[in-house]
Amino acid sequence: MSVGGRSSASATARLSVLVAILSVPAFTGVWELVARSGFVNAVLFPPPSTVAVAILEWIRSGQFFADLMASLSRVAAGFAIGAVGGIVLGVLTGRFRLVSSLLSPLFHILRPIPPVAFVPIVILWFGLSETGKLFLVVWGVFFTVWLATHIGVQKVDRGLIRAAQMLGTPQPQMLWEIVFLGALPYITVGLRTAVSISFYTLVAAELAGAFAGIVYRIEIAQQNMQTGQVMGGLAALGLLSFVADRFFASLAERAVWWR
Amino acid sequence: MTPSLLRPDQPLRLVDTYPPSAPARQTTIRVEDLSVVFDAPSGQVIAVDRVSLAVAQGEFVSIVGPSGCGKSTLLNAMAGLERPFEGQVLMAGEAMLAPRPEIGMVFQQPHLFPWKSVRRNIAHGPRALGKPNAEALRIADNLIEMIGLTRFASAYPHTLSGGMQQRVAIARALANQPRVLLMDEPFGALDAQTRAVMQDNLLELRERINATIVFVTHDIDEAILLSDRVLIMSAGPGRILKDLQVSLPRPRSSAIVAEAAYIALKRDCLDLIRSEGRRAFEQMEIRT
Ligand SMILES: Nc1ncnc2c1ncn2[C@@H]1O[C@H](COP(=O)(O)OP(=O)(O)OP(=O)(O)O)[C@@H](O)[C@H]1O
Ligand SMILES: [Mg+2]
Repeated sequence: MSVGGRSSASATARLSVLVAILSVPAFTGVWELVARSGFVNAVLFPPPSTVAVAILEWIRSGQFFADLMASLSRVAAGFAIGAVGGIVLGVLTGRFRLVSSLLSPLFHILRPIPPVAFVPIVILWFGLSETGKLFLVVWGVFFTVWLATHIGVQKVDRGLIRAAQMLGTPQPQMLWEIVFLGALPYITVGLRTAVSISFYTLVAAELAGAFAGIVYRIEIAQQNMQTGQVMGGLAALGLLSFVADRFFASLAERAVWWR
Repeated sequence: MTPSLLRPDQPLRLVDTYPPSAPARQTTIRVEDLSVVFDAPSGQVIAVDRVSLAVAQGEFVSIVGPSGCGKSTLLNAMAGLERPFEGQVLMAGEAMLAPRPEIGMVFQQPHLFPWKSVRRNIAHGPRALGKPNAEALRIADNLIEMIGLTRFASAYPHTLSGGMQQRVAIARALANQPRVLLMDEPFGALDAQTRAVMQDNLLELRERINATIVFVTHDIDEAILLSDRVLIMSAGPGRILKDLQVSLPRPRSSAIVAEAAYIALKRDCLDLIRSEGRRAFEQMEIRT
């Protein structure tokens, strides 16, 4: 049992690594075969090779870079504004009873409304301008970060606040060095959630009408029946949001430097 | 000046970190009919029950009493951290409604800022009071040497042992050079050697700057060795049961434990505490 059991266990481990490596190529291969077999409509369900050609064409035309920058700048700007606003107000509502009484009820009413549902009113208010798109991303990011910060601030060890009070810590230093840093582990979790939310709202913002952007490109390709381009756009979007999430995860790990 | 007991090689003492010319301001503590009540899920808890006491400028007063009798709550109220339900705390005649930096506090738990190194933890107070960064760090470095943690100056609190953390907490409280020190079992987590050194340091400091010290401890020997008076608290709700004058001559050394006056005093304390402890225990039995 002992020797045989262990060697069969390690064989299973080796096999599962092999399967993991082959997983994506295998599915891509099956996809290629099925798409070319004639069982399915190759226009609606193009093989990966067609998607790859579409992506290369997209990059070569120079449009990819423009689309990438358009989408990325919306996400980045919206994320930055929403995150800073969420952290600042979260620290204030978490720390000051009166500010919380003023703002928290309002925020709790607005927060559950999916940001996507604001598309119609955003179009009425801002038309197809960049401001409207920024608004949607900011909206989605803000509430997530605000709530995480608010809760994090309330979880800050009261003993630390008392110790800081005894040392004569003035209010700004208290908020920044004790309250904010004490809540940082919660805040980074909120920020990471907000990264995926910002991509989520980006899709809604670009579908609502844009002149450049990855999701905009997907929509145009769909209208022209360029299914390969549609799938290429999806792949690019997936990759982008994956990279952003990984980048943020490693950043979040380093942000809590004292652990 | 007596040299440090167990570390004669240690050049720097606590007193060296205080400017010798610092003016001793008149700071008398008066606690008048103080009650502190907590809202607990099971109803209101009276933690401190109509306590009155006075501590004169430069006096060293220890508080002993059974666990849960309200010693920490009393100290917190004196620090302005806990609102009185009744009565008041006066520092030099002024009601304590909020913490003040001239009153230093060493909490029962170290409560170090986890994101700051030992050095930055200690420098926090001077910086908070507007000292330039370099000066705050110089003060911190002196105190780090005093508590014998030079090697750990840039370590983060979670890498220190409990006793080391408590020493940092003491240094942090001293960095603002408070004229009143409230200390809640500050040496409880220390080994015997370090404890003796810290006790010596504290006595020296007191004599030099005429600091007023209120000191909570479970250790009767420590209380008698250090104090001018020992207050014995009753089991919760906390009241002051006995106010014992320690009229042993100063400077004291650990040799006084052999003196008859000391032994008599200690026996008095222990008798009171033992009967009070039994009562507290029985009370708890009845309650549960
Ligand atoms: N924040 C709080 N909320 C509710 N009850 C509290 C709170 N803090 C203390 N108490 C209660 O007040 C009483 C006194 O507590 P305190 O911490 O002052 O005791 P203590 O004398 O310092 O005990 P120990 O020697 O164990 O440190 C206890 O019954 C405790 O349960
Ligand atoms: Mg206590």
